[in-house]
Amino acid sequence: MNAPLGKLLPFYLVIDVSFSMQGNKIEAVNEMMPAVLDALAQAPILSDKVRFALIDFSKDAQVRLPLSDLLDEHTTMPELTTRTITSYAAAFRLLRTEIEQNVRQLKADGYAVHRPAVFFLSDGAPTDTTAEWQAAFRELTSYDPKTGQGFAMFPNVVPCGVGDADPKTLQALIHPAEGSKQMRMYLMDHGEDAAKAISTIAEVLISSVLASGESLAKGESGLILPDEKDLPAGVSSFTADHEDFV
Amino acid sequence: MATPAEVVTGGFEPYVVGSAGRAAGLVRPAFVPDHPDRPDTIVDGIVVNGSAGAPAATVRAASVRGLSHRAYATVRQDDYALRVTPDGRYLVLCVADGVSAAPLSHLAACWAAQEGTKQLVRLLATTPPADLGWTEFIGYVATVIVDWAGKTIAELDADPVAVARKMSAALSFAVVDLAPTGAGNTVHLMTIGDTSGWIIGQDGYWFPLQPVKNAGADIYSSAVSALPALTQPPAPPVTAVLGPGEVLVVMTDGVGDPLGDGSGVVGEFLARAWREPPPELAFAAQISFTRRTFDDDRTAVAVWPVTPAS
Repeated sequence: MNAPLGKLLPFYLVIDVSFSMQGNKIEAVNEMMPAVLDALAQAPILSDKVRFALIDFSKDAQVRLPLSDLLDEHTTMPELTTRTITSYAAAFRLLRTEIEQNVRQLKADGYAVHRPAVFFLSDGAPTDTTAEWQAAFRELTSYDPKTGQGFAMFPNVVPCGVGDADPKTLQALIHPAEGSKQMRMYLMDHGEDAAKAISTIAEVLISSVLASGESLAKGESGLILPDEKDLPAGVSSFTADHEDFV
Repeated sequence: MATPAEVVTGGFEPYVVGSAGRAAGLVRPAFVPDHPDRPDTIVDGIVVNGSAGAPAATVRAASVRGLSHRAYATVRQDDYALRVTPDGRYLVLCVADGVSAAPLSHLAACWAAQEGTKQLVRLLATTPPADLGWTEFIGYVATVIVDWAGKTIAELDADPVAVARKMSAALSFAVVDLAPTGAGNTVHLMTIGDTSGWIIGQDGYWFPLQPVKNAGADIYSSAVSALPALTQPPAPPVTAVLGPGEVLVVMTDGVGDPLGDGSGVVGEFLARAWREPPPELAFAAQISFTRRTFDDDRTAVAVWPVTPAS
Protein backbone atom coordinates (compact mmCIF):
# COMPACT_ATOMS: atom_id res chain seq x y z
CA MET A 1 0.00 0.00 0.00
CA ASN A 2 3.03 2.32 0.38
CA ALA A 3 1.70 5.77 1.27
CA PRO A 4 -1.87 6.16 0.00
CA LEU A 5 -2.47 9.10 -2.36
CA GLY A 6 -5.77 9.90 -0.71
CA LYS A 7 -9.11 8.60 0.54
CA LEU A 8 -11.92 8.84 -2.01
CA LEU A 9 -15.71 8.60 -1.85
CA PRO A 10 -17.22 7.53 -5.21
CA PHE A 11 -20.80 8.51 -6.12
CA TYR A 12 -22.68 6.99 -9.06
CA LEU A 13 -25.73 8.78 -10.36
CA VAL A 14 -27.79 6.31 -12.41
CA ILE A 15 -30.58 7.84 -14.52
CA ASP A 16 -33.51 6.29 -16.35
CA VAL A 17 -33.59 7.77 -19.89
CA SER A 18 -36.51 5.73 -21.18
CA PHE A 19 -38.85 7.52 -23.59
CA SER A 20 -41.23 8.59 -20.81
CA MET A 21 -38.49 10.82 -19.35
CA GLN A 22 -38.64 13.18 -22.32
CA GLY A 23 -39.57 16.82 -21.91
CA ASN A 24 -39.10 18.71 -18.64
CA LYS A 25 -38.04 15.56 -16.75
CA ILE A 26 -34.88 15.05 -18.80
CA GLU A 27 -34.29 18.81 -18.61
CA ALA A 28 -34.46 18.60 -14.81
CA VAL A 29 -32.06 15.65 -14.90
CA ASN A 30 -29.59 17.65 -16.95
CA GLU A 31 -29.55 20.31 -14.25
CA MET A 32 -28.62 17.82 -11.51
CA MET A 33 -24.90 17.53 -12.19
CA PRO A 34 -24.29 21.29 -12.55
CA ALA A 35 -26.06 21.71 -9.19
CA VAL A 36 -23.78 19.10 -7.61
CA LEU A 37 -20.79 20.86 -9.13
CA ASP A 38 -21.86 24.21 -7.66
CA ALA A 39 -22.25 22.63 -4.22
CA LEU A 40 -18.82 20.96 -4.39
CA ALA A 41 -17.18 24.21 -5.45
CA GLN A 42 -18.29 25.63 -2.07
CA ALA A 43 -16.99 22.63 -0.09
CA PRO A 44 -13.23 22.24 -0.58
CA ILE A 45 -12.74 19.56 2.13
CA LEU A 46 -15.26 17.45 0.27
CA SER A 47 -14.36 18.27 -3.31
CA ASP A 48 -10.88 16.85 -2.70
CA LYS A 49 -12.44 13.46 -1.87
CA VAL A 50 -15.62 13.02 -3.88
CA ARG A 51 -15.64 11.43 -7.32
CA PHE A 52 -18.80 11.40 -9.46
CA ALA A 53 -19.93 9.16 -12.29
CA LEU A 54 -23.08 9.43 -14.42
CA ILE A 55 -24.65 6.37 -16.00
CA ASP A 56 -27.86 6.43 -18.02
CA PHE A 57 -29.99 3.44 -18.98
CA SER A 58 -32.81 2.53 -21.30
CA LYS A 59 -32.62 -0.65 -23.43
CA ASP A 60 -28.90 -0.56 -22.67
CA ALA A 61 -26.83 1.33 -20.11
CA GLN A 62 -24.05 3.79 -20.92
CA VAL A 63 -21.35 5.55 -18.92
CA ARG A 64 -21.98 9.20 -19.74
CA LEU A 65 -19.43 10.58 -17.28
CA PRO A 66 -16.69 8.23 -16.08
CA LEU A 67 -15.83 8.51 -12.38
CA SER A 68 -14.37 12.03 -12.24
CA ASP A 69 -13.32 14.93 -10.12
CA LEU A 70 -16.13 17.31 -11.11
CA LEU A 71 -14.02 20.39 -10.39
CA ASP A 72 -11.24 19.20 -12.67
CA GLU A 73 -10.96 21.57 -15.61
CA HIS A 74 -10.96 18.61 -18.02
CA THR A 75 -14.34 17.31 -16.82
CA THR A 76 -17.23 18.12 -19.15
CA MET A 77 -20.86 17.52 -18.22
CA PRO A 78 -22.78 15.19 -20.53
CA GLU A 79 -26.21 16.12 -21.93
CA LEU A 80 -28.67 13.22 -21.50
CA THR A 81 -31.35 12.48 -24.08
CA THR A 82 -34.14 9.93 -23.91
CA ARG A 83 -34.04 6.58 -25.70
CA THR A 84 -36.50 3.66 -25.51
CA ILE A 85 -37.39 1.10 -22.80
CA THR A 86 -36.42 0.69 -19.12
CA SER A 87 -33.92 -2.12 -18.45
CA TYR A 88 -32.93 -2.03 -14.77
CA ALA A 89 -30.86 -5.16 -15.40
CA ALA A 90 -28.69 -3.34 -17.96
CA ALA A 91 -28.07 -0.56 -15.42
CA PHE A 92 -27.13 -2.96 -12.61
CA ARG A 93 -24.77 -4.98 -14.82
CA LEU A 94 -22.94 -1.91 -16.03
CA LEU A 95 -22.75 -0.51 -12.50
CA ARG A 96 -21.15 -3.70 -11.23
CA THR A 97 -18.54 -3.64 -14.04
CA GLU A 98 -17.84 0.06 -13.58
CA ILE A 99 -17.52 -0.08 -9.79
CA GLU A 100 -15.19 -3.04 -9.94
CA GLN A 101 -12.99 -1.44 -12.62
CA ASN A 102 -13.00 1.98 -10.96
CA VAL A 103 -12.13 0.69 -7.47
CA ARG A 104 -9.41 -1.59 -8.86
CA GLN A 105 -7.95 1.28 -10.86
CA LEU A 106 -8.10 3.77 -7.97
CA LYS A 107 -6.42 1.25 -5.69
CA ALA A 108 -3.77 0.52 -8.33
CA ASP A 109 -3.24 4.29 -8.55
CA GLY A 110 -2.63 4.31 -4.78
CA TYR A 111 -5.93 5.54 -3.34
CA ALA A 112 -7.93 4.18 -0.43
CA VAL A 113 -11.59 3.96 -1.47
CA HIS A 114 -14.69 4.29 0.69
CA ARG A 115 -17.76 2.22 -0.15
CA PRO A 116 -19.36 3.61 -3.34
CA ALA A 117 -22.81 5.22 -3.22
CA VAL A 118 -25.43 4.83 -5.96
CA PHE A 119 -28.38 7.18 -6.48
CA PHE A 120 -30.76 5.39 -8.85
CA LEU A 121 -33.49 7.53 -10.45
CA SER A 122 -36.40 6.06 -12.42
CA ASP A 123 -39.85 7.17 -13.59
CA GLY A 124 -41.24 3.76 -14.44
CA ALA A 125 -41.31 0.04 -13.82
CA PRO A 126 -38.56 -2.10 -15.33
CA THR A 127 -39.28 -3.67 -18.70
CA ASP A 128 -37.05 -6.67 -17.81
CA THR A 129 -38.59 -9.78 -16.31
CA THR A 130 -38.59 -9.68 -12.52
CA ALA A 131 -36.18 -12.62 -12.41
CA GLU A 132 -33.77 -10.79 -14.71
CA TRP A 133 -33.47 -7.47 -12.85
CA GLN A 134 -33.45 -9.26 -9.50
CA ALA A 135 -30.55 -11.48 -10.57
CA ALA A 136 -28.59 -8.47 -11.85
CA PHE A 137 -29.26 -6.60 -8.59
CA ARG A 138 -28.06 -9.58 -6.54
CA GLU A 139 -24.84 -9.66 -8.58
CA LEU A 140 -24.32 -6.00 -7.71
CA THR A 141 -25.13 -6.09 -4.02
CA SER A 142 -24.83 -9.52 -2.43
CA TYR A 143 -21.74 -10.15 -0.35
CA ASP A 144 -20.98 -12.50 2.52
CA PRO A 145 -18.09 -11.14 4.60
CA LYS A 146 -17.61 -14.51 6.29
CA THR A 147 -17.01 -16.55 3.14
CA GLY A 148 -15.93 -13.67 0.89
CA GLN A 149 -18.53 -14.82 -1.64
CA GLY A 150 -20.18 -12.12 -3.75
CA PHE A 151 -19.16 -8.55 -4.53
CA ALA A 152 -16.96 -7.08 -1.78
CA MET A 153 -17.15 -3.61 -3.37
CA PHE A 154 -20.98 -3.61 -3.29
CA PRO A 155 -22.39 -0.08 -3.21
CA ASN A 156 -24.90 1.55 -0.91
CA VAL A 157 -27.98 2.00 -3.12
CA VAL A 158 -30.50 4.82 -2.74
CA PRO A 159 -33.44 4.38 -5.16
CA CYS A 160 -35.41 7.48 -6.16
CA GLY A 161 -38.78 7.34 -7.92
CA VAL A 162 -40.78 9.96 -9.80
CA GLY A 163 -43.80 9.74 -12.12
CA ASP A 164 -44.92 6.18 -12.66
CA ALA A 165 -42.06 4.50 -10.81
CA ASP A 166 -43.21 1.41 -8.93
CA PRO A 167 -42.66 1.92 -5.17
CA LYS A 168 -42.61 -1.79 -4.41
CA THR A 169 -39.90 -2.44 -7.02
CA LEU A 170 -37.78 0.52 -5.96
CA GLN A 171 -38.13 -0.51 -2.33
CA ALA A 172 -36.45 -3.82 -3.21
CA LEU A 173 -33.41 -1.84 -4.42
CA ILE A 174 -32.66 -0.20 -1.05
CA HIS A 175 -29.26 -1.54 -0.01
CA PRO A 176 -28.35 -2.24 2.72
CA ALA A 177 -32.02 -2.79 3.54
CA GLU A 178 -31.38 -3.21 7.25
CA GLY A 179 -28.78 -2.85 9.97
CA SER A 180 -26.89 0.18 11.26
CA LYS A 181 -26.04 1.39 7.75
CA GLN A 182 -29.58 1.00 6.43
CA MET A 183 -30.38 3.11 3.35
CA ARG A 184 -33.71 4.66 2.30
CA MET A 185 -35.58 5.42 -0.89
CA TYR A 186 -37.04 8.74 -2.00
CA LEU A 187 -40.42 8.93 -3.73
CA MET A 188 -42.29 11.78 -5.36
CA ASP A 189 -45.50 12.54 -3.45
CA HIS A 190 -48.81 11.86 -5.23
CA GLY A 191 -49.89 14.64 -7.54
CA GLU A 192 -46.46 16.34 -7.64
CA ASP A 193 -44.84 17.43 -10.85
CA ALA A 194 -42.16 14.90 -11.84
CA ALA A 195 -39.66 17.48 -13.10
CA LYS A 196 -39.97 19.42 -9.84
CA ALA A 197 -39.54 16.17 -7.91
CA ILE A 198 -36.30 15.48 -9.83
CA SER A 199 -34.97 18.88 -8.75
CA THR A 200 -35.94 18.05 -5.18
CA ILE A 201 -34.16 14.71 -5.40
CA ALA A 202 -31.08 16.59 -6.63
CA GLU A 203 -31.28 18.59 -3.38
CA VAL A 204 -31.46 15.34 -1.39
CA LEU A 205 -28.44 14.04 -3.31
CA ILE A 206 -26.46 17.21 -2.60
CA SER A 207 -27.28 17.26 1.11
CA SER A 208 -26.30 13.60 1.25
CA VAL A 209 -22.98 14.31 -0.47
CA LEU A 210 -22.29 17.18 1.93
CA ALA A 211 -23.34 15.20 5.01
CA SER A 212 -21.31 12.18 3.95
CA GLY A 213 -18.30 14.43 3.49
CA GLU A 214 -18.75 15.82 6.97
CA SER A 215 -19.11 12.29 8.31
CA LEU A 216 -15.85 11.36 6.60
CA ALA A 217 -14.36 14.29 8.44
CA LYS A 218 -15.73 12.66 11.56
CA GLY A 219 -13.84 9.48 10.84
CA GLU A 220 -16.84 7.52 9.64
CA SER A 221 -17.18 5.96 6.23
CA GLY A 222 -20.92 5.57 5.81
CA LEU A 223 -23.18 7.26 3.30
CA ILE A 224 -25.30 9.75 5.24
CA LEU A 225 -28.84 10.56 4.07
CA PRO A 226 -30.60 13.76 5.12
CA ASP A 227 -32.85 13.72 8.18
CA GLU A 228 -36.52 13.16 7.41
CA LYS A 229 -37.35 16.54 8.96
CA ASP A 230 -34.93 18.29 6.58
CA LEU A 231 -36.53 16.77 3.48
CA PRO A 232 -37.81 19.33 0.94
CA ALA A 233 -41.57 19.28 0.21
CA GLY A 234 -42.86 17.07 -2.60
CA VAL A 235 -40.68 14.05 -1.83
CA SER A 236 -40.96 11.48 0.98
CA SER A 237 -38.51 8.85 2.13
CA PHE A 238 -39.14 5.23 3.09
CA THR A 239 -37.16 2.34 4.52
CA ALA A 240 -37.11 -1.21 3.16
CA ASP A 241 -39.46 -2.41 5.91
CA HIS A 242 -42.15 0.21 5.22
CA GLU A 243 -45.35 -1.79 4.55
CA ASP A 244 -47.68 0.53 2.61
CA PHE A 245 -46.64 -0.61 -0.86
CA VAL A 246 -48.41 -3.50 -2.58
CA MET B 1 29.72 54.23 17.81
CA ALA B 2 27.24 52.42 15.56
CA THR B 3 26.02 49.07 16.74
CA PRO B 4 26.21 46.34 14.13
CA ALA B 5 22.82 45.60 12.54
CA GLU B 6 21.03 42.72 14.23
CA VAL B 7 20.29 39.92 11.83
CA VAL B 8 17.08 37.86 11.70
CA THR B 9 17.45 34.32 10.43
CA GLY B 10 15.09 31.36 10.06
CA GLY B 11 11.68 31.08 8.49
CA PHE B 12 8.72 28.82 8.11
CA GLU B 13 7.18 27.06 5.19
CA PRO B 14 4.49 24.41 5.69
CA TYR B 15 5.32 20.89 4.59
CA VAL B 16 3.44 19.49 1.60
CA VAL B 17 3.77 15.84 0.59
CA GLY B 18 2.61 15.27 -2.98
CA SER B 19 -0.60 17.01 -3.99
CA ALA B 20 -1.88 19.60 -1.50
CA GLY B 21 -5.48 19.45 -2.71
CA ARG B 22 -7.89 22.38 -2.74
CA ALA B 23 -8.91 22.35 0.92
CA ALA B 24 -5.50 23.30 2.32
CA GLY B 25 -5.59 26.62 0.50
CA LEU B 26 -9.28 27.40 1.00
CA VAL B 27 -10.21 26.32 4.54
CA ARG B 28 -10.43 29.13 7.07
CA PRO B 29 -9.78 27.59 10.50
CA ALA B 30 -12.89 28.14 12.60
CA PHE B 31 -13.12 29.08 16.26
CA VAL B 32 -15.19 26.64 18.33
CA PRO B 33 -17.45 28.69 20.61
CA ASP B 34 -18.50 25.67 22.72
CA HIS B 35 -14.93 24.73 23.62
CA PRO B 36 -12.80 27.90 23.75
CA ASP B 37 -10.48 26.18 26.25
CA ARG B 38 -9.37 23.53 23.78
CA PRO B 39 -6.10 24.50 22.03
CA ASP B 40 -5.77 23.92 18.28
CA THR B 41 -2.24 22.59 18.75
CA ILE B 42 -0.10 21.38 21.65
CA VAL B 43 3.62 20.67 21.50
CA ASP B 44 6.31 19.34 23.84
CA GLY B 45 10.02 18.81 23.48
CA ILE B 46 11.88 17.35 26.44
CA VAL B 47 14.99 15.48 27.41
CA VAL B 48 14.24 12.82 30.00
CA ASN B 49 16.84 12.01 32.61
CA GLY B 50 17.27 8.39 33.59
CA SER B 51 17.86 6.90 37.05
CA ALA B 52 21.46 8.10 37.13
CA GLY B 53 20.39 11.68 36.36
CA ALA B 54 22.00 11.69 32.93
CA PRO B 55 19.95 12.29 29.75
CA ALA B 56 18.34 9.00 28.72
CA ALA B 57 15.89 9.94 25.97
CA THR B 58 14.78 12.88 23.87
CA VAL B 59 11.04 13.18 23.33
CA ARG B 60 9.04 15.17 20.80
CA ALA B 61 5.26 15.26 21.00
CA ALA B 62 2.61 17.22 19.16
CA SER B 63 -1.12 17.11 18.59
CA VAL B 64 -2.51 19.32 15.84
CA ARG B 65 -6.15 19.92 14.88
CA GLY B 66 -6.90 18.51 11.44
CA LEU B 67 -8.00 20.52 8.44
CA SER B 68 -11.52 19.07 8.51
CA HIS B 69 -12.04 19.94 12.18
CA ARG B 70 -10.76 23.43 11.40
CA ALA B 71 -13.20 23.67 8.49
CA TYR B 72 -16.25 22.33 10.33
CA ALA B 73 -15.63 24.29 13.56
CA THR B 74 -15.00 21.28 15.77
CA VAL B 75 -12.26 20.78 18.34
CA ARG B 76 -9.10 18.72 18.12
CA GLN B 77 -10.12 15.30 19.42
CA ASP B 78 -6.63 13.82 19.52
CA ASP B 79 -4.47 14.13 22.60
CA TYR B 80 -1.31 12.80 24.21
CA ALA B 81 0.28 12.55 27.66
CA LEU B 82 3.85 12.03 28.88
CA ARG B 83 5.05 10.93 32.32
CA VAL B 84 8.26 9.63 33.88
CA THR B 85 8.30 7.34 36.91
CA PRO B 86 9.76 9.10 40.00
CA ASP B 87 12.78 6.82 39.95
CA GLY B 88 13.59 7.87 36.38
CA ARG B 89 13.45 4.29 35.17
CA TYR B 90 10.46 4.45 32.80
CA LEU B 91 9.01 6.90 30.32
CA VAL B 92 5.25 6.40 30.07
CA LEU B 93 3.31 7.86 27.17
CA CYS B 94 -0.11 7.77 25.63
CA VAL B 95 -1.49 8.84 22.27
CA ALA B 96 -5.29 9.17 22.10
CA ASP B 97 -7.69 9.59 19.21
CA GLY B 98 -11.20 10.71 20.19
CA VAL B 99 -13.78 8.97 18.00
CA SER B 100 -15.45 11.77 16.05
CA ALA B 101 -18.85 10.13 15.80
CA ALA B 102 -19.24 10.94 19.52
CA PRO B 103 -19.42 14.71 20.14
CA LEU B 104 -17.38 14.93 23.39
CA SER B 105 -14.62 12.48 22.48
CA HIS B 106 -11.88 15.03 23.13
CA LEU B 107 -12.75 14.63 26.83
CA ALA B 108 -12.39 10.85 26.68
CA ALA B 109 -9.06 11.26 24.85
CA CYS B 110 -7.77 13.75 27.42
CA TRP B 111 -8.94 11.84 30.53
CA ALA B 112 -7.75 8.47 29.25
CA ALA B 113 -4.32 9.83 28.33
CA GLN B 114 -3.78 11.71 31.59
CA GLU B 115 -5.30 9.23 34.03
CA GLY B 116 -4.03 6.18 32.14
CA THR B 117 -0.41 7.35 32.20
CA LYS B 118 -0.80 8.36 35.87
CA GLN B 119 -2.07 4.87 36.70
CA LEU B 120 0.79 3.22 34.79
CA VAL B 121 3.29 5.25 36.81
CA ARG B 122 1.57 4.04 40.01
CA LEU B 123 1.62 0.41 38.85
CA LEU B 124 5.26 0.57 37.75
CA ALA B 125 6.28 1.48 41.32
CA THR B 126 5.66 -2.14 42.28
CA THR B 127 5.34 -4.09 39.03
CA PRO B 128 7.91 -4.48 36.25
CA PRO B 129 6.39 -3.58 32.83
CA ALA B 130 6.54 -7.17 31.57
CA ASP B 131 4.21 -8.18 34.43
CA LEU B 132 1.67 -5.39 34.04
CA GLY B 133 -1.95 -6.56 34.04
CA TRP B 134 -3.02 -4.79 30.86
CA THR B 135 -6.57 -6.18 30.84
CA GLU B 136 -7.22 -4.74 34.30
CA PHE B 137 -5.51 -1.54 33.26
CA ILE B 138 -7.82 -1.13 30.27
CA GLY B 139 -10.78 -1.76 32.56
CA TYR B 140 -9.47 0.97 34.86
CA VAL B 141 -9.19 3.50 32.01
CA ALA B 142 -12.71 2.64 30.79
CA THR B 143 -14.02 3.14 34.33
CA VAL B 144 -12.33 6.55 34.60
CA ILE B 145 -14.02 7.68 31.37
CA VAL B 146 -17.44 6.43 32.48
CA ASP B 147 -17.15 7.88 36.01
CA TRP B 148 -15.89 11.27 34.91
CA ALA B 149 -18.46 11.47 32.13
CA GLY B 150 -21.17 10.75 34.72
CA LYS B 151 -19.86 13.59 36.92
CA THR B 152 -19.45 16.04 34.03
CA ILE B 153 -22.63 15.45 32.05
CA ALA B 154 -25.75 15.67 34.20
CA GLU B 155 -28.16 13.49 32.22
CA LEU B 156 -25.70 10.68 31.52
CA ASP B 157 -26.04 7.22 33.08
CA ALA B 158 -22.86 5.59 34.31
CA ASP B 159 -23.14 3.01 31.57
CA PRO B 160 -20.24 2.40 29.14
CA VAL B 161 -22.48 2.11 26.07
CA ALA B 162 -24.41 5.31 26.88
CA VAL B 163 -21.16 7.14 27.63
CA ALA B 164 -19.56 5.81 24.42
CA ARG B 165 -22.28 7.53 22.40
CA LYS B 166 -21.08 10.82 23.88
CA MET B 167 -17.35 10.16 24.05
CA SER B 168 -14.96 7.45 23.02
CA ALA B 169 -11.25 7.18 22.27
CA ALA B 170 -8.78 4.88 20.57
CA LEU B 171 -5.55 4.71 22.59
CA SER B 172 -1.96 3.54 22.56
CA PHE B 173 0.02 3.35 25.79
CA ALA B 174 3.78 2.78 25.77
CA VAL B 175 6.27 2.14 28.55
CA VAL B 176 9.89 2.78 27.55
CA ASP B 177 12.62 1.36 29.80
CA LEU B 178 15.15 4.16 30.11
CA ALA B 179 17.82 1.73 31.35
CA PRO B 180 19.01 0.06 28.14
CA THR B 181 20.16 -3.53 27.99
CA GLY B 182 22.92 -4.46 25.57
CA ALA B 183 20.40 -4.59 22.71
CA GLY B 184 18.73 -1.29 23.49
CA ASN B 185 15.69 0.09 25.30
CA THR B 186 12.77 -2.25 25.86
CA VAL B 187 9.38 -0.86 24.82
CA HIS B 188 5.99 -2.22 25.91
CA LEU B 189 3.07 -1.09 23.78
CA MET B 190 -0.65 -1.59 24.34
CA THR B 191 -2.96 -0.46 21.55
CA ILE B 192 -6.75 -0.16 21.48
CA GLY B 193 -8.24 0.74 18.10
CA ASP B 194 -6.49 2.43 15.21
CA THR B 195 -3.69 4.33 16.93
CA SER B 196 -0.35 2.68 16.20
CA GLY B 197 3.25 2.23 17.31
CA TRP B 198 6.25 2.02 14.97
CA ILE B 199 10.02 1.79 15.15
CA ILE B 200 12.03 3.65 12.53
CA GLY B 201 15.19 1.65 11.92
CA GLN B 202 18.62 3.16 11.31
CA ASP B 203 18.03 2.63 7.58
CA GLY B 204 14.82 4.70 7.70
CA TYR B 205 12.62 1.60 7.40
CA TRP B 206 9.31 1.79 9.31
CA PHE B 207 8.60 -1.32 11.36
CA PRO B 208 4.96 -1.54 12.53
CA LEU B 209 4.38 -2.91 16.05
CA GLN B 210 0.86 -4.10 15.03
CA PRO B 211 -0.86 -5.10 11.78
CA VAL B 212 -1.24 -2.10 9.43
CA LYS B 213 -4.83 -0.79 9.26
CA ASN B 214 -6.82 -1.75 6.14
CA ALA B 215 -3.84 -3.51 4.55
CA GLY B 216 -5.22 -5.62 1.70
CA ALA B 217 -8.84 -4.44 2.04
CA ASP B 218 -10.85 -3.69 -1.12
CA ILE B 219 -12.97 -1.06 0.58
CA TYR B 220 -11.52 1.30 3.16
CA SER B 221 -13.21 1.02 6.54
CA SER B 222 -12.77 3.32 9.49
CA ALA B 223 -14.70 1.19 11.96
CA VAL B 224 -12.75 1.47 15.18
CA SER B 225 -12.54 -0.19 18.57
CA ALA B 226 -12.34 2.33 21.38
CA LEU B 227 -12.85 2.89 25.13
CA PRO B 228 -15.03 2.92 27.20
CA ALA B 229 -17.06 0.31 25.22
CA LEU B 230 -14.77 -2.06 23.33
CA THR B 231 -16.38 -3.71 20.30
CA GLN B 232 -13.71 -6.41 20.17
CA PRO B 233 -11.02 -7.67 22.57
CA PRO B 234 -7.80 -5.64 22.24
CA ALA B 235 -4.72 -7.20 20.68
CA PRO B 236 -2.23 -8.40 23.32
CA PRO B 237 0.54 -5.97 24.32
CA VAL B 238 3.67 -5.92 22.17
CA THR B 239 7.23 -5.89 23.48
CA ALA B 240 10.01 -4.58 21.24
CA VAL B 241 13.59 -3.39 21.63
CA LEU B 242 14.57 0.08 20.50
CA GLY B 243 18.14 -0.35 19.27
CA PRO B 244 20.81 2.34 18.97
CA GLY B 245 19.91 4.89 16.31
CA GLU B 246 16.28 3.78 16.22
CA VAL B 247 13.23 5.92 16.93
CA LEU B 248 9.94 4.91 18.58
CA VAL B 249 6.91 6.71 17.12
CA VAL B 250 3.39 6.31 18.52
CA MET B 251 0.70 8.03 16.46
CA THR B 252 -2.98 8.47 15.72
CA ASP B 253 -4.41 7.44 12.35
CA GLY B 254 -4.29 11.08 11.25
CA VAL B 255 -0.58 10.42 10.74
CA GLY B 256 -0.89 6.64 10.31
CA ASP B 257 -3.32 6.68 7.37
CA PRO B 258 -1.16 8.83 5.07
CA LEU B 259 1.92 6.94 6.32
CA GLY B 260 0.36 3.71 5.00
CA ASP B 261 2.85 0.88 5.53
CA GLY B 262 5.70 3.36 5.88
CA SER B 263 7.41 2.40 2.63
CA GLY B 264 6.14 5.37 0.60
CA VAL B 265 6.85 9.06 0.29
CA VAL B 266 5.38 10.00 3.70
CA GLY B 267 7.54 7.41 5.49
CA GLU B 268 10.66 8.57 3.65
CA PHE B 269 9.93 12.20 4.50
CA LEU B 270 9.36 11.61 8.22
CA ALA B 271 12.20 9.13 8.63
CA ARG B 272 14.60 11.65 7.09
CA ALA B 273 13.19 14.50 9.20
CA TRP B 274 13.52 12.43 12.38
CA ARG B 275 16.98 10.94 12.00
CA GLU B 276 17.82 13.31 14.86
CA PRO B 277 15.28 14.95 17.17
CA PRO B 278 14.02 18.06 15.32
CA PRO B 279 13.18 21.34 17.10
CA GLU B 280 9.82 20.82 18.83
CA LEU B 281 7.91 23.31 16.68
CA ALA B 282 9.42 21.74 13.56
CA PHE B 283 8.12 18.38 14.79
CA ALA B 284 4.59 19.81 15.01
CA ALA B 285 4.93 21.25 11.51
CA GLN B 286 6.22 17.94 10.19
CA ILE B 287 3.32 15.86 11.47
CA SER B 288 0.85 18.41 10.11
CA PHE B 289 2.16 18.10 6.54
CA THR B 290 -0.45 18.81 3.88
CA ARG B 291 -1.52 15.93 1.64
CA ARG B 292 -4.73 15.89 -0.37
CA THR B 293 -7.75 14.32 1.46
CA PHE B 294 -5.77 13.61 4.66
CA ASP B 295 -7.47 16.11 6.94
CA ASP B 296 -7.82 14.27 10.27
CA ASP B 297 -6.23 15.44 13.55
CA ARG B 298 -2.53 14.60 13.66
CA THR B 299 -0.78 13.38 16.79
CA ALA B 300 2.58 11.71 17.32
CA VAL B 301 5.01 11.11 20.17
CA ALA B 302 8.56 10.20 19.15
CA VAL B 303 11.32 8.91 21.43
CA TRP B 304 15.05 8.95 20.65
CA PRO B 305 17.11 7.08 23.25
CA VAL B 306 20.26 8.99 24.15
CA THR B 307 23.29 6.84 23.51
CA PRO B 308 25.69 7.38 26.44
CA ALA B 309 28.86 9.11 25.29
CA SER B 310 31.69 6.59 25.25
